[in-house]
Amino acid sequence: MTKTEFVLELTSKLSLLPWEEVEDRISFYVEMIDDRMEDGLSEEEAVAAVGGVDEIAAQIIDDIPFAKLVKEKIKPKKRLRAWEIVLIVIGSPLWLPLLIAAFAVLLSLYISLWAVVIALWAVFVSFIGGMLGGIVAGIVFAAGGNIPAGAALIGAGISLAGLAVFAFLGCKAATKGTVKLAKKLIKGVKRGFMKKGEA
Amino acid sequence: MDVQLKRGLLDVCVLTAIKNEDSYGYKIIKDLKPYVELSESTLYTILKRLETGSMLTVRSVEHDGRLRKYYRITAMGLKRIEEFKEEWEKVLAIYQFVIKGDKEND
Repeated sequence: MTKTEFVLELTSKLSLLPWEEVEDRISFYVEMIDDRMEDGLSEEEAVAAVGGVDEIAAQIIDDIPFAKLVKEKIKPKKRLRAWEIVLIVIGSPLWLPLLIAAFAVLLSLYISLWAVVIALWAVFVSFIGGMLGGIVAGIVFAAGGNIPAGAALIGAGISLAGLAVFAFLGCKAATKGTVKLAKKLIKGVKRGFMKKGEA
Repeated sequence: MDVQLKRGLLDVCVLTAIKNEDSYGYKIIKDLKPYVELSESTLYTILKRLETGSMLTVRSVEHDGRLRKYYRITAMGLKRIEEFKEEWEKVLAIYQFVIKGDKEND
């Protein structure tokens, strides 16, 4: 691949991104290719050394915040014609709720993902609460003379403490996993979002 | 390696590569090659992060009929390197302690 082909291909792959972001990156890669050629590599070798276009494009999309991508996508590329505006306005009862629904579905997926984590931590907190309650109530009973009931309550409190330790480990792992999953989800939505625009 | 740790290490590597004289992208990659393999896209992200954090400044210089971007370290960048050295002195002390513990167990 020549340098010109590389630039053209990368530009077309990133055509939906804000131009100021793309321009700076492309000139960075071009400088790298030029410097490699100056260092004795052939043009083809220099382009190959920089990396594959697909790989670079994917990396750039990952780097740009989602909000910026959405903003750029929604922004019309050209001035809208009168009939297009009329169509958008007339069609708005249809596409607006659909768009809102699509976002709501994504948002609810995201929230339910975290709801699981919150529920798990709630179990952990309830174990701690049970532990404290059991021990305090046990002491009160024991002090009141009811030693067997007091001992049983303190015992229950201590077993809850043991469960809390396990729950903590489980919750920590689940939180870590969810963070990873959420990141993947956002990445997937981002890439899907860019692909749809290309079609 | 932990992502946060790696990021911090790479930042300091790039700052060190421009510490004594201004440098440009390809030279930074070449200078760091014996210690760490940096891809172009990784370097771009690091340079942008350091620029946003005011640890370096960028200027375009004409070279052979084209423009080349040179990066210069700032006082904040130099401070970051010093902080890194202090932090790692402590880390190394802990490392020695860990290694000693291993030997005693053998």
